[in-house]
Amino acid sequence: MPSLREIESEMRLALLGGDDGPARTMVRGDGLEPAARLAIYRHHVVTTLTAALQATFPVVCRLVDERFFAYAADRYIQVEPPSGPCLFEYGAGFANFLAGFPPCRSLPYLADVARLEWAMQRALHAPDAIPLPIRAIQGVAPDLAGSLTLTLDPSVTLLSSRYPVDRIWRANQVDEPEPAVVNLADGGARLEIRRSGDDVVFRALDPAVFVFRHALARGGDLAAATAEALAADPAFDLGSALTALFADGLPIALGPTPSTPGDDPCQREP
Amino acid sequence: MISGGAGLVGIGLRAPHVAEILAARPPVGWLEVHTENYLGGGPALRALDRIRREHPISLHGVGLSLGSAEGLDRGHLARVVALTRRIEPALVSEHLSWSIAGGAYLNHLLPLPYTEESLAVVAAHVAEAQEALGRPLLVENPSSYLRFQHSPIPEPEFLAELARRTGCSLLCDVNNVFVSCRNFDHDPVAYLDALPASSIGEIHLAGHAENEADGRVILIDDHGSRVSDEVWALYARALERFGPRPTLIEWDTDIPALPVLLDEAGRAEVAITRSVAEGGSRALAA
Repeated sequence: MPSLREIESEMRLALLGGDDGPARTMVRGDGLEPAARLAIYRHHVVTTLTAALQATFPVVCRLVDERFFAYAADRYIQVEPPSGPCLFEYGAGFANFLAGFPPCRSLPYLADVARLEWAMQRALHAPDAIPLPIRAIQGVAPDLAGSLTLTLDPSVTLLSSRYPVDRIWRANQVDEPEPAVVNLADGGARLEIRRSGDDVVFRALDPAVFVFRHALARGGDLAAATAEALAADPAFDLGSALTALFADGLPIALGPTPSTPGDDPCQREP
Repeated sequence: MISGGAGLVGIGLRAPHVAEILAARPPVGWLEVHTENYLGGGPALRALDRIRREHPISLHGVGLSLGSAEGLDRGHLARVVALTRRIEPALVSEHLSWSIAGGAYLNHLLPLPYTEESLAVVAAHVAEAQEALGRPLLVENPSSYLRFQHSPIPEPEFLAELARRTGCSLLCDVNNVFVSCRNFDHDPVAYLDALPASSIGEIHLAGHAENEADGRVILIDDHGSRVSDEVWALYARALERFGPRPTLIEWDTDIPALPVLLDEAGRAEVAITRSVAEGGSRALAA
């Protein structure tokens, strides 16, 4: 007689689209093929997880159409089922999956659109944080300022793409009856995505400011972030960059950014 | 003495109705939310913080996976405990099911074989959750579309023994009783009669769908329509047997306008009022 652990393990395999042979032997037919009974459950697992991904990645779905999205989601669910019961946290790896999914090769920007939508999802559900006033760093001795690190608002993602993913996203909103034509040759985007009040917002940053904030978000200190920003633009001005950073309410604490494994707030295309 | 059903009947609060509930404060006894939708921060949690000031809240979990042989996800349990402390709900409930195997969450309330082994696993997890929460849990009977080859304990007896061992209460989902009994040719009234009335702390009502698989009708618990007449009749029977209990109208797919849910809630209130009156006259006649 199989143990509970064996039953659950074989059910998991069957429900995620693997071999349902062992599970079939554990289930009573009760007037049906055991496989038909397992299929009722598998249908629910796949359709509800697909719906969860569709809710998180509506623009990706619009770009590839619903049928293809369901096909891609089905494959993704098999290789990366949710690791926990909060479905708003499901889909962290969907962008990377799409980047390596051969049928998506003709849409090179698709994975970065998914990265943008994932950043928006993270922002929506991030914990509330209280911004730090700029006077918090005004008392730091100048010789120590360079080694200062800042924890940024947990809703923030800094995302760069070689494609104009912000314009692609805007052109594919449901209230845009005629999707605008976006020229991929228009160049990439350096975006800051965050929550503002109850809304998720994103905007393009200029190259040096992006590099500066991106370095801080990775846990780099002020000296390192400034050096990176100056390399991107010799005219970069630290004083005004810090004023803008605090005016935007991004720093929430002095000290290193606590990093959550597998949930990198700084995303760039590989 | 409870003179009527008002106050005892709640509705499942779903995202499309949050703004309307906050603005209109409809006369509803209480609201039940899915715990897992509020374990992040942001606007969802802020809205719940506001709603709890106006209405009693029930936290209905779908993710603890009480029947997982590999043990409870302690990180998830800690998040549920934190939300429970924050919201101070009137009721906290979960399901007699499992959803997690090999670290994968399968997003379904999956059936258990009803064996001594399963009973020991679920009872240990209910005890662990109650210890962490510092309060009793309500455990809901599932809707089922399959049974295991080896599953010797009848479901209501399994639930009764679980309540006896852990002190948990039971959430009797009358629609689930109807769906499972119909799918396996059992008598739903006999099922209700086998549950310990004193352990029933909450009742759920919802709609179901009729699907066909290989020429056989299978009822699917899709929470996508009004409560069926047969389930209303079974609810009257449940009230007669258990007495008046907090009752919830659940609706999760094809969610209708709020007045439809309030109308269903009104129907449950009438049923409770009637059962109390009839219970009174039975007592007088005895």
